[in-house]
Amino acid sequence: MPCERKPMRYGHSEGQTDVCFDDTGNFIVTCGSDGDVRIWESLDDDDPKSISVGEKAYSCALKNGKLVTAAANNTVQMHTFPEGEPDGILTRFTTNATHVAYNSSGSRVAAGSSDFMVKVVEVSDSSQQKTLRGHNAPVLSVTFDPKDEFLASASCDGSVVVWKIEEQTQVISWPLLQKSNDVTNSKSLCRLAWQPRVAKLLAVPVETTVQLYQRDSWALVSTLSDDLGTQPINVVAWSPCGKFLATGSIGGLLTVWDVEGKLCVDRQKHEKGYTVCGLAWHPSGTQIAYTDTEGCLGLLDGLSSSSSSSTMAIKSTKVTGSSNLLREIFILESGSPAKNLVALDDEDDDDLVPATGRARNRSAFLDDENSLDPGSLKLGLDKLGNYEDDAGSAIVLPAASAAPLHPVYEGPMPTPHQKAFQPGSTPAHLMHRFMMWNSVGIVRGYNDERDNAVDVEFHDTAIHHAMHLTNSLGHTLADLSHEAVLLACPSTDELASKLQCLHFSSWDTNKEWMVDLPKGEDVRAVCLGQGWAAAATSALMLRLFSIGGVQRELFSLPGPVVCMAGYGEQLLIVYHRGTGFDGDQALGVQLLLFGRNRQQVIQGEPLPISRRSHLSWLGFTAEGTPCFIDSEGVVRLLNRSLGNTWTPVCNTRDHCKGKSDHYWVVGVHENPQQLRCIPCKGSRYPPTLPRPAVAVLPFKLPLCQTTTEKGQMEEQYWRSVLLQNHFGFLSSSGYEIDEEAQSRAQKEQQELLMKMFALSCKLEREFRCVELAELMTQNVVTLAIRYASRSRRMALAQRLSELALEKANQLQGPEEEEEPLQYTRRNTGSSVFNKDCVDLSIGLNPFAKGSPASPDKPSPKPGEFHSVSGGTGRSSAGGQPRATNVLDSMTSSSRKPTVLLGSSVSAGKLSKTPVLKPLAPRPKSKTQSTLLNMSASKAANKKPAEEREPAVDRLKPTEALPPASPADNVENTKPKTGFQLWLEENRKSILADNPDLEETDVIKEAMGRFRNLSAGDRLSWTERAKGDEGDLKKRKRAEESQGDDNGQNHSDENSAKKKKPLDTSAKLSAFAFSKN
Amino acid sequence: MDPSEVEFLAEKEVVKIIPNFSLDKIYLIGGDLGPFNPGMPVEVPVWLALNLKQRQKCRIVQPEWMDVDKLEEIRDLERKEETFTPVPSPYYMELTKLLLNHASDNIPKADEIRTLVKDIWDTRIAKLRLSADSFISQQEAHAKLDNLTLMEINTTRSFLLNSLNCMYKLRSNLQPGSSRGKSQDY
Repeated sequence: MPCERKPMRYGHSEGQTDVCFDDTGNFIVTCGSDGDVRIWESLDDDDPKSISVGEKAYSCALKNGKLVTAAANNTVQMHTFPEGEPDGILTRFTTNATHVAYNSSGSRVAAGSSDFMVKVVEVSDSSQQKTLRGHNAPVLSVTFDPKDEFLASASCDGSVVVWKIEEQTQVISWPLLQKSNDVTNSKSLCRLAWQPRVAKLLAVPVETTVQLYQRDSWALVSTLSDDLGTQPINVVAWSPCGKFLATGSIGGLLTVWDVEGKLCVDRQKHEKGYTVCGLAWHPSGTQIAYTDTEGCLGLLDGLSSSSSSSTMAIKSTKVTGSSNLLREIFILESGSPAKNLVALDDEDDDDLVPATGRARNRSAFLDDENSLDPGSLKLGLDKLGNYEDDAGSAIVLPAASAAPLHPVYEGPMPTPHQKAFQPGSTPAHLMHRFMMWNSVGIVRGYNDERDNAVDVEFHDTAIHHAMHLTNSLGHTLADLSHEAVLLACPSTDELASKLQCLHFSSWDTNKEWMVDLPKGEDVRAVCLGQGWAAAATSALMLRLFSIGGVQRELFSLPGPVVCMAGYGEQLLIVYHRGTGFDGDQALGVQLLLFGRNRQQVIQGEPLPISRRSHLSWLGFTAEGTPCFIDSEGVVRLLNRSLGNTWTPVCNTRDHCKGKSDHYWVVGVHENPQQLRCIPCKGSRYPPTLPRPAVAVLPFKLPLCQTTTEKGQMEEQYWRSVLLQNHFGFLSSSGYEIDEEAQSRAQKEQQELLMKMFALSCKLEREFRCVELAELMTQNVVTLAIRYASRSRRMALAQRLSELALEKANQLQGPEEEEEPLQYTRRNTGSSVFNKDCVDLSIGLNPFAKGSPASPDKPSPKPGEFHSVSGGTGRSSAGGQPRATNVLDSMTSSSRKPTVLLGSSVSAGKLSKTPVLKPLAPRPKSKTQSTLLNMSASKAANKKPAEEREPAVDRLKPTEALPPASPADNVENTKPKTGFQLWLEENRKSILADNPDLEETDVIKEAMGRFRNLSAGDRLSWTERAKGDEGDLKKRKRAEESQGDDNGQNHSDENSAKKKKPLDTSAKLSAFAFSKN
Repeated sequence: MDPSEVEFLAEKEVVKIIPNFSLDKIYLIGGDLGPFNPGMPVEVPVWLALNLKQRQKCRIVQPEWMDVDKLEEIRDLERKEETFTPVPSPYYMELTKLLLNHASDNIPKADEIRTLVKDIWDTRIAKLRLSADSFISQQEAHAKLDNLTLMEINTTRSFLLNSLNCMYKLRSNLQPGSSRGKSQDY
């Protein structure tokens, strides 16, 4: 008896609920502790009719258009159905009624109450009442004998009593239940049920079993029990035919028994394991409606009403048992996504279901292919070798009550595969649904009696006007881009699966094309990119089409597709890598590039998804970074700068108010940082009407201790770093980028670093300060040095100055890189953000172009630090370590820090300062004039310095992007070294020795020779370069007179560009003295 | 002050719209608006919202209080209380009129909302008349009325002031007459 469990609906607030069908079976009626009775036309009814009956409604019953409810105001009321008009009060108690029941003809109502009484009232005349006294505790439930002779009731005093209604006497009383003092404290609601029609049996839920008592003899004829049910049974209900009995238990286990054969014919688990407290059969016997204590309504559909068919099925499956079983386990074809969720949730409740089972249970399971019951899976994974014997015993002992049990598999359970879906669509079974909601527009699908249509609407009407299409083919999949609408439908018996593309941006008159897939191949997922469309099919194939309809590449997928997303030239595919266990999905991801250089960027790596969740959205951010969201609400973004790892950037569940609220994501933006989604109250996806409004959620990296100031800033910093990765990617793949936004982001990062630095300083964490400084750009390090020195942390300032030098060196040519022994290289990781790429891009360029022999800053060894700095012009003459001098240099520089601080804190101010455009070639004349000013007088020096500092500041970010920055610009900023000086002078001799050398070889050769020089010689070269640079002001004239080979303009310009390193060393010298 | 002026003031209130075009931030004297992204809600003044709506450039999102349940609650409270209850917006009447006249297709249950707001308005105006009546009949010198909106004050201002002036004149004429009458009694 295969049955399908529909996803649950939220119906009432938490608390006891009850459910019944109307006589025709057209309506489901539920009542709950919110005091409302709801009339549902079907489970999908989004707008059930509500009748308010009181503060709380404990129980309801419906017959002949009269709805009877037990409400909290101590009455049993009647309402007309379906109008819901109040129709009088049937009876009153001194306290609330607990259960009401109709007799079979609907002429009488029985009500049990917490005041220990049971009343039987005539519906037509409420004055005719019979009161049954005898219980010593609140009455749990009542049920009429279908022949109207008897009435059975259960009470908290532990007794189940059969009454003779006419005489108002007890016929028999069984002490079956556990005693309690109130209905709320009772372990079980003990809803009794009398077999309809024949009225032969009375079913009483006793603990985990159901006892069946025979009418008249009142003897216990049988017990229906099941080892899987460990929790007490709350409620039992007979099928209208009287052959089946449904039970609902505390743990949410629903079982359907064939009473005659004492066979369990079906077993379902509540999707969340909540206690089932209401159960009702559809009058046709094909459905069971149930409600739980959380107020949700569920439905089991597709129950067959004839017992013969089910036994037939059992027999047939016994023969093919093992193969069926294997199929069931390993080809877990699942239902809707919601159903998957159900299965996942089930896994939480494994402990409730003992891994034992009887042969008869098993045989009942076998034909139940749709069942997602973990129990069946467990049984299924039984030792397969033993299986033949099991099946045999099942045949021999069809109704064995205590057949020996077989060892049962208790390991991890395989998870059913998540079904393929379109990101941004709502489930296909809805009549009105979103087929796609993305950043371009909305595709809505309607499929009701009146209409089968697709509506396409664009957010920006400038792209295209809205479209209304008749959906004669039954399209279920859709995607939408700026160029086209792609629709796809599954195959039917006659028609092949089709792909239809409305290419509205086409410039010819034919705006549409259609493709039939080969027979037996179904489209599972589609997506659109720029100039292409892709369709993944059930044949594990990916078919690529051009947007105009030309078939392009074709390749096989490693597994069944889950979903796809396209953006520009990127195609992202998620597929099932294998079978996950214990609720996990095993997903793999591929990222392909179709551009000029076609390549697979991510080659089928596992997709890191939250535990026990499934994928719920996949796509690209508006900036083109792959991103996905799982059912736990975690948003993960591809981190291209860290080897294509996935970083969680947001958890939408953190923003939900209620437990059952969700956010349905429609788009992700990195700049500005926005997660665009639709808040859904009490559901996972929004209805099409009323039109949902988009909300915006912020990103938040799940770093530790984000409540503290430190944690907050760290989170901000890393979020900013992560979310500006796309600049690098975009520029490397030849897109335009918003440089202003990029420099703003980098500025923000540096500000945050500075703040963190200040915070660590305050907390006396100097090591941490250095760590932070390693992340900074060089000029921010100089700022940090000032900060440290002003807060009297000389040791820190010293270390930072070393760091600053290192950073400066890293900016210099590659020859230093190749002589690492000369420096104590504290950190290479610090170059991640700005240096490495610059160095790489520069390569050997400067030499290749024959740079001028301009004054260069050497890279001093730490040990030589003092002597080197002593030589710089900025420090006091003779480098005498006098305290006054230290103070002097501190005060003289004290104006600059404030300006710099101000400019770095307020980005606005900085951007207004008259600086050079980041990417524009520097105008020579201006640089020159600034330089002349500087060299002319010391007093004038300060101002241009201030001006240029931010200029360099702004220049830096652009350097970080190799392709974005013109080579000459980078070259200009690159400082020259002693080696370079030496090279300039010795180039000719090298060339003379080896005339056939290439430029790079020349440099290699030169490097070898330079290394072969004595340490003293090398030092002198370095000194020279350093001295030239440091004493620029004084020695400029002398230098000119030296008559360099190259023009003076050029050297001037170069030294101007190198002003910053100079500046740093000058400042450093001040600290160096203060150390003495 | 006539009602159109009050309405003009009400047009400065902000309302959320969902534009179907894309436009960068626009810088106005009264403040910056936008940026406008298609499909993304953005807050703009009512005058702009209505203008865009008339050009079919946006959908208007109704203000939060413009909801049948909330208005019913307010109406019931207004009827129950003797005094004026706080209204959801200082320009509730004007906004309802403007938005419902121009964007009723974006607002579900527009007719119900219109009726409810009219109910609230009527209740409040009736209260206002009643209190003006008792103010005059009890010959009070001053009265305090809280939670009145500009439009409500505006409806009664000219009439009340004129009538008070009239009454004053009548009384000041009456005063010597009555004293004369009294003196005649002696």
